[in-house]
Amino acid sequence: MNSLKIILRRRNSCVLQCRTATTKKKIHDPKEEEDLPIFQFPVSKSSDRRVYVWGLAETGALGVHVSHGRGRTKKSNSNFQFAWHPLRSSFCEKFDVTKIACGYGFTVAAVKTNEQHKVFGTGINTDSQIGYHAPRMGHPLETLLSPAPIYIPYRSLETKITGLAAGRAHTLILTDNEGVYTLGNNAYGQCGRKINPKEEYRGSMVSHNIKTLGRESIIDVCAGQDHSLFITESGKVYACGWGADGQTGLGKFDSQGPPAPVTGDITSEKIVKVASTADCVLALNDRGELFGWGNSEYGQIPMARNQQQVNSAYALVNFTKGLGKIEDIATGGSYCLVCNDSGDVFVWGFGLLGLGPNVNHTPKPKQIPPPLFGRNEFNPECMVKNVACGIGHLAAITDNGNLYLWGRNRHGCLGLGHNKDQHFPLKVSIGAHVLEVNCSVDHTVALCKPFV
Amino acid sequence: MSKLQLSLAIIKPHAVKNPVALAYIRNVIKNNFAVIKTQRVSLDKETAGNFYLEHVQKFFFNRLVTFMSSGCIDVHIIAHTNAIQLWRQMLGPTKVYRAQFEDPYSLRGMFGISDTRNVAHGSDSPISAEKEIKFFFPEFSFYNWHTNEEERFRKGPIVFNKHLFQHVRKL
Repeated sequence: MNSLKIILRRRNSCVLQCRTATTKKKIHDPKEEEDLPIFQFPVSKSSDRRVYVWGLAETGALGVHVSHGRGRTKKSNSNFQFAWHPLRSSFCEKFDVTKIACGYGFTVAAVKTNEQHKVFGTGINTDSQIGYHAPRMGHPLETLLSPAPIYIPYRSLETKITGLAAGRAHTLILTDNEGVYTLGNNAYGQCGRKINPKEEYRGSMVSHNIKTLGRESIIDVCAGQDHSLFITESGKVYACGWGADGQTGLGKFDSQGPPAPVTGDITSEKIVKVASTADCVLALNDRGELFGWGNSEYGQIPMARNQQQVNSAYALVNFTKGLGKIEDIATGGSYCLVCNDSGDVFVWGFGLLGLGPNVNHTPKPKQIPPPLFGRNEFNPECMVKNVACGIGHLAAITDNGNLYLWGRNRHGCLGLGHNKDQHFPLKVSIGAHVLEVNCSVDHTVALCKPFV
Repeated sequence: MSKLQLSLAIIKPHAVKNPVALAYIRNVIKNNFAVIKTQRVSLDKETAGNFYLEHVQKFFFNRLVTFMSSGCIDVHIIAHTNAIQLWRQMLGPTKVYRAQFEDPYSLRGMFGISDTRNVAHGSDSPISAEKEIKFFFPEFSFYNWHTNEEERFRKGPIVFNKHLFQHVRKL
């Protein structure tokens, strides 16, 4: 028995010798703990922005390089380059982007800086809508695949860019104290200067400056496909450009060179927002009432005699009765989209309206069911804050930074990973808090802030 | 094999200004049709008005004319045994907002922006095709084409000249 004990003891000692850890309790020194370095995980500043882009990359409008191989599956029947899902734009990581606007196949972004180059552009440049870029004299580039700075003759380098808008082939750049600079095609006068039918826009270096309108400074700009709208400090709306559908609201159907005040029911109103993507315009006054003019072929501006072209502003107060105070507005090619102060979304017109596959036309404003935007029993306070429209697709942003898209999925502009049309709002998978969305004809850009 | 039919295809200003759309449309044209003549012109309002004389009473006449005179357009004479119908079928419905649902992969469904900015024009009948070709190519001889050249384009080896954007007889 004793010998057995001895053997066990030996074994134990052997085991103890082999162990590297001690069984003695370590006495912690509280000072030592304080001296330990705490790893600082990077936290973003409140001014940090992220930009996500998706849609047709072939034009260079996304400013990101997408490999050809990814789009060559059954998803599309063409060989174009697509960004099927939201991609984080690397350009916007290097610069503090404040504003973004999307035109037809091009994108412009304003950067917070005190240097000469405050606005960058990428995409189609056949009308010099994103400035003059030539690798050698006399050979201007027709498309830019990566963002390039746009030269604009600012009077002071302290000038800040406060607004951007882009149409089919023109760009409007709003500054804080130098008015608006316009670039690009002026065939209809959309740049706010006299129309010259013989003007050559390819490789043009012209930029036009509109300092004030009616001796007031301009506070907001909006671009339709071929017309431009300006809001002045006192809430007056000025327009120039193509007026064949009445989208300039000047009481005529001609093109307008220098901007002129919009006539009709809004002359005595204080307008805070105008929205136009194609040829139909909506305006919102400070009391949340709606006005409209322009193309009405699909009943966007319901007139008494069913006119298809409305050439002066028309109050839609009776039409929108019962919708509450309207907060945000957007117009697409053949429909209008509004959201009110309780976060409900209403749509009318023709197209894929988000009311399911069987509804493609509604003459009266119809609410899109709020549960589709995430309002449910667990989240009863979810509200839609902003709406936006492309030509065929619609977008809504909720107060918790979720982006919902639906409509015609042209060239994958909904970012769902395929190019099938979407009949009801669907959340887009973006890893950030969406602040602003810009829809163009075939691509979409979202300006976001990081979650942490 | 039946005889070749002629049609007129016009690429409208907004599509001419979009290099991606233009390359795609040109590819479609040159792979499906024999391109007889190509011309890039810039219309003024009067000429555009004369071209669309049949629409002069319609509400969209002013819109159409100002749009067509807003930039350069590409005019092609295209030939195929069924040119008129085939080209119109490739274009899709006239109204873009309807075309994008009815026929999303037609040219108008893919590149159209609005009912006026609808990518391209195609003749709707042999009579109007002849009239429209005469409008843009006054020197084009239909007699000469039907008697001499038609057979060469139908039978003979033809190659595509990308500088002219035309099919020519292989020498």
